[in-house]
Amino acid sequence: SSALVLCMDVGFSMSNSAPGEEPPFELAKKVIQKFVQRQVFAENKDELALVLFGTDSTKNPLDRDGQYQNITVHRHLMIPDFELLEEIENQVHPESQQADWMDALVVCMDLLQTETKGKKFDRLNVALLTDLSTQANQDHLDVIIENLKQAGITLQFFLPFPAEDDEEGGGDSDRRGPGHPGTGKGLSREQKESLDLVKHVMLSLDEEDGLDQVYTFRDAIEQLCMFKRIERRPMAWPCQLTIGSCLSIRIVGYKAVTEERLKKMWVTVDAQSNQKEDVKRETVYCLDDDNETEVKKDDTIQGFRYGSDIVPFSKVDQDQMKYKHDGKCFAVLGFTKQNLVRRHQFMGSQVVKMFAPKDDEHAGVALSALIRALDELQMVAIVRYAYDRRSNPQVGAAFPCVKQDYECLMYVQLPFMEDLRQFTFPSLENNKKLSPSDTQLSAVDSLIDSMMLVQKDDDDADQKDIFKVHHIPNPAFQRHFQCLHHRAVNPGTPLPPMEPWLKAALERPDVISERCQAPLEEIKRKFPLIEVEKKKKLKTSAQIFGKDAEEPDAKKAKGDEEEDYNLADIAEGSVTSVGSVDPARDFRTLIKLKSLPFGEVCQQLTHRIEQLLSNKNTHYYMKSITCIQAFREQSVKLGNADLYNSYLQSLKRSIPNRRLEVFWDLLVQDAITLISKDEVEGSTVSKNEANQFLVVEEKKEEAAVPSAEDTGDVDDLLDMM
Amino acid sequence: MAEWNAYYQNEDEDEEQEEGEQSGDYKVTGRDSLVFLVDASKEMFIKGEDGEPSNFDMTMQVVRSVYTSKIISSHRDLVALVFYGTEQSKNPRNSFKYVYVYHDLDEPGAKRVQEVDALRGEKGARLAAETMGSGETSLGDALWCCANLYSDIKLRLSHKRLMIFTCRDEPHRGDSAKDRQARTKASDLKETGVIIDLMHLMKPGGFDVAPFFRDIVSQPEDESELGLHLEPCDKLEDLQKRVRAKEQKKRAMARLNLCLGEGINVAVGIYATAVTARKPAAIRLYRETNEPVRSKTRTFHMQTGSLLLPSEIKKAQTYGKKQIVMERDEVDSIKKFQDPGLYLIGFKPMEKLKTHHHIRPAVFLYPEEGEVKGSACLFSALLMKCSERNVFALCRCVSRRNYPPRFVALVPQREEVDEGKVQFTPPGFNVIYLPYADDLRTLDPPQCPSASQIQVDKMKEIVSKLRFKYRSEAFENPVIQQHYRNLEALALDMMAPEDTEDLIMPKVDQINHRLGPLAEEFKDLVYPAGYNPESKSVAKRKTAIVGGVAEKKPKAEVPEDELRAHVQNGTLGKLTVPVLKEACKQFGVRTTGTKKQELIDF
Repeated sequence: SSALVLCMDVGFSMSNSAPGEEPPFELAKKVIQKFVQRQVFAENKDELALVLFGTDSTKNPLDRDGQYQNITVHRHLMIPDFELLEEIENQVHPESQQADWMDALVVCMDLLQTETKGKKFDRLNVALLTDLSTQANQDHLDVIIENLKQAGITLQFFLPFPAEDDEEGGGDSDRRGPGHPGTGKGLSREQKESLDLVKHVMLSLDEEDGLDQVYTFRDAIEQLCMFKRIERRPMAWPCQLTIGSCLSIRIVGYKAVTEERLKKMWVTVDAQSNQKEDVKRETVYCLDDDNETEVKKDDTIQGFRYGSDIVPFSKVDQDQMKYKHDGKCFAVLGFTKQNLVRRHQFMGSQVVKMFAPKDDEHAGVALSALIRALDELQMVAIVRYAYDRRSNPQVGAAFPCVKQDYECLMYVQLPFMEDLRQFTFPSLENNKKLSPSDTQLSAVDSLIDSMMLVQKDDDDADQKDIFKVHHIPNPAFQRHFQCLHHRAVNPGTPLPPMEPWLKAALERPDVISERCQAPLEEIKRKFPLIEVEKKKKLKTSAQIFGKDAEEPDAKKAKGDEEEDYNLADIAEGSVTSVGSVDPARDFRTLIKLKSLPFGEVCQQLTHRIEQLLSNKNTHYYMKSITCIQAFREQSVKLGNADLYNSYLQSLKRSIPNRRLEVFWDLLVQDAITLISKDEVEGSTVSKNEANQFLVVEEKKEEAAVPSAEDTGDVDDLLDMM
Repeated sequence: MAEWNAYYQNEDEDEEQEEGEQSGDYKVTGRDSLVFLVDASKEMFIKGEDGEPSNFDMTMQVVRSVYTSKIISSHRDLVALVFYGTEQSKNPRNSFKYVYVYHDLDEPGAKRVQEVDALRGEKGARLAAETMGSGETSLGDALWCCANLYSDIKLRLSHKRLMIFTCRDEPHRGDSAKDRQARTKASDLKETGVIIDLMHLMKPGGFDVAPFFRDIVSQPEDESELGLHLEPCDKLEDLQKRVRAKEQKKRAMARLNLCLGEGINVAVGIYATAVTARKPAAIRLYRETNEPVRSKTRTFHMQTGSLLLPSEIKKAQTYGKKQIVMERDEVDSIKKFQDPGLYLIGFKPMEKLKTHHHIRPAVFLYPEEGEVKGSACLFSALLMKCSERNVFALCRCVSRRNYPPRFVALVPQREEVDEGKVQFTPPGFNVIYLPYADDLRTLDPPQCPSASQIQVDKMKEIVSKLRFKYRSEAFENPVIQQHYRNLEALALDMMAPEDTEDLIMPKVDQINHRLGPLAEEFKDLVYPAGYNPESKSVAKRKTAIVGGVAEKKPKAEVPEDELRAHVQNGTLGKLTVPVLKEACKQFGVRTTGTKKQELIDF
């Protein structure tokens, strides 16, 4: 665990800002809030202290003889909590004094030294947030640096401006580069001097990368790099890489890339008491009979499906018969060309990097030989990988990775035969109807030109990437913690909107948006795209109902499937009228049988529909829709549109009166229109009218409102038949 | 260890999500079905040269592998096996002669696999001759019989396919009445949505699809695909590939718009081409009858015992001592950023796609012309240009409602076909999910000396000795295979499950043999004498070795000639830092560094 001190300048200069810009104070406060927020939600053992300087009052242990004035230890070293978040939100304000940031640093160092006594910390860190406006006392500079080194305290600076104007410094400022307030020339003499001092201190602590730990407020808010420093390191996985039984190399694996997930799950609580103890979930088992007879869990055994067979297979037997292996291993099966391992066939959710153990140079040399051999030959090792005895073995590839300051193997899981689905798709290029013309292709060419996310520097062969996904914090986490933080500190208020920077970080960069305007217009002209209007199938309403229905999903899905009996089969049965169980099916059967006149069968069906609609319940609505669909389908088939069209029209008229708007919306969703001339010759409805039928429903509503007879409409219709 | 374990436990949780994401719209559309219609004429039983398996034998092997793969990957699919040109007849109403329904349309199970097995090999040919025999041929009747199989099914079928396996291009030997009847029946079948494929097999003189079968099979999906593979199959592997490619119905996990800019929406389908196969979940059976039981989960109030409606519960998380409560819809709304879809951010050169930026298996993108007309053309143009210019498209992707966004790389993939004109790489974009900053972990790589060129070259020899051509479909999952063998054994009351070969076990003896002395030679170059990488306490032993090399510890010295030999062999790295420092002094080199590489570089 680590101990860190947040040391924030709240002096008066922190409130200064150019018009339209957020003052440094506000930005620094946001950095601190995010920092603490993350620590609180991480729930680790890291401890944190907050020191403010530039405060009107003075409260610190070094306050003696007028020294170390206007510096306040706001919170001593302890595990951060919501209380601290609340304090930062409500108690940290801009104040009217100024204090020497070097003095503040000394207070922080003293705090770390005294308050970590007797506790064990892996890291000690001080984060200083200031605009460097005060002149710093340099008298004891060397002593301070020496003390920092000795105590192993690392430093981070957060400033309103970048430490260096060129691209190299200031952490990763290359994303959306411009727009740092107060950049460059606007610095005061004190700020320039202090900045030099900061650089001096940082470079004394770390000759090479010291300046990487100087951030701007902006970067800190939008990026994660600063949090990385205090993050725990992944677990080591020591193992041996083996090639046959005679050659092995000691290695240590670390998970380097993996899809990080939120650690905590939501628990269900009672809405009134907010107690999870008040809510109980219970699973019961029941037989698949009409009574749904419940059986006790103890009276059930475990089984598996083997195709159509169900095989009882107890846990004990299963454990005894299951595949077993020797446990941990990283064994080479052979070597193959890198290009035979296709990127899109990577499986699993992680990349593991393999290094030699820290204390074993010989393993390092041996591993290096393998890595370099693979790198030079453009090959990879195909390996069997097993994490431990309990986990399933995998097949995967170990890629060589040679970097300037380290070498390693990168392990990625590859598919098993069972994982692959070999799909074939129609050819695109060889299809005359689809293949793009030359002018179309050149339109795409200019689109690509305008939307390249890398920029070539004139003097540099290197390309600068202006949209690095791996620098963006996972927006889901940011939003999640933002909302939790808000709800914890401001209970009872609605959730806040998304933070603007987060929204912006997910958008196309402005430069690109501007540049691609014209090429996009060209694409629009050259490639006609027409949305295909579709008669949606039953599926839509089934999906809609699927969500709200109280019935367990499994049962419904089963019903869906089994119910759809084959027509020919039913025809042999004894359907004599449209029943209530499955009216649509009966309707179809009767029409097929031709035992009754069409009009009469339709009448029976509409009767059932009316019955169903008298229940204001989504299930009955769905059933009605199925009936109407069957009605339509058979009417089209038989070329008789009149009965259907007039029924649907009268049904529509009766909607407002019967308060069936919900049902009607579903009908609209499923695009169940009138039957048009195009479909059935005898229809008096044009295609346009048929489509309009659903669209204009709101306007017509008024006309349909008066009259109690409207309900009678339906009966009239029935009489008519 | 805690962290690694946590990962493995999480796997189960992910499963649910993944399944939801990848199973497609199975429930809604109904079941897939496949009928194997296999020629059982004498010609099918003729063995190839050099004891090659007969066409019949080959077909049975393919049928078996489809059966078992269906059991594992899609046990709800229905499969039938019908023979035509038999002497005996066996069909539901026994109304067709020379047609033998070996298995009607049903979910494949253990017994069926066994029954297909029985038809394989020498013995199988004998069994086939005994039970079915070879007689006259009427493909028309056979197709009619198959049509009945379909119509006898009481379930909704979504995808109906029929594959004809034969080596006879003129089954009726010019009997035009029979030819005509077969054509009529074939077109009836096609009308009811059955897709008919021909898996034609090798025969002496070549197989000519033109005179008869061209009219039997279904028209291809697009004009370029000839539908008929011109070359007949003569290898099991080819046949297996052809059947597998057709046998699986592709289902889109999602249909989305790929938005290039305002009003420019290309409709695309997302397909999962590689999904981690897992052991299926256990089902609960009633002890008395072994019938499956259903489970119902209810949420109720502890005190009152009444069922809780969704409106009567909320969601909470606790941090420290603080409980944070939200409404259920708030929990959903937090996850919502945008509506589902792919939104183009820009393009990047392929080298900007890093190998290690991998967080989950890729999916595949193909246009949906049926949703937005013109999609295929623009999609195709993008594909061609991205591929030509070696760039990928970077998109923001929301795969379904209330899913937070992820960024993805759309990597172009041009179509590739083999010599037999069978597509082995489909055209489209592979969708590679990219990590966020949170997904990358900071590591502290150890400082290690690099190997010398001599050591590297020795390893290159080893690598070359163990070269092979990797094929992704070459490795079966031993865990799953064992599981199904166990079930098979239990289902069929076998004494013991069939042996499975663990294909991801290194063939140690073979490797040792191939390497010969190379392994020792390499070890001599990199490891000091007595170094044992297998031992746990290497660190301690190492100091002992150092003591051995240089007897007077404070003055670590190595004889000059030995040192020169090390220099020549590039094996200085085998020496320890103190030894090297001493050597530097010996040669009058001034040293300041303490890192080994620096010392060696002198």
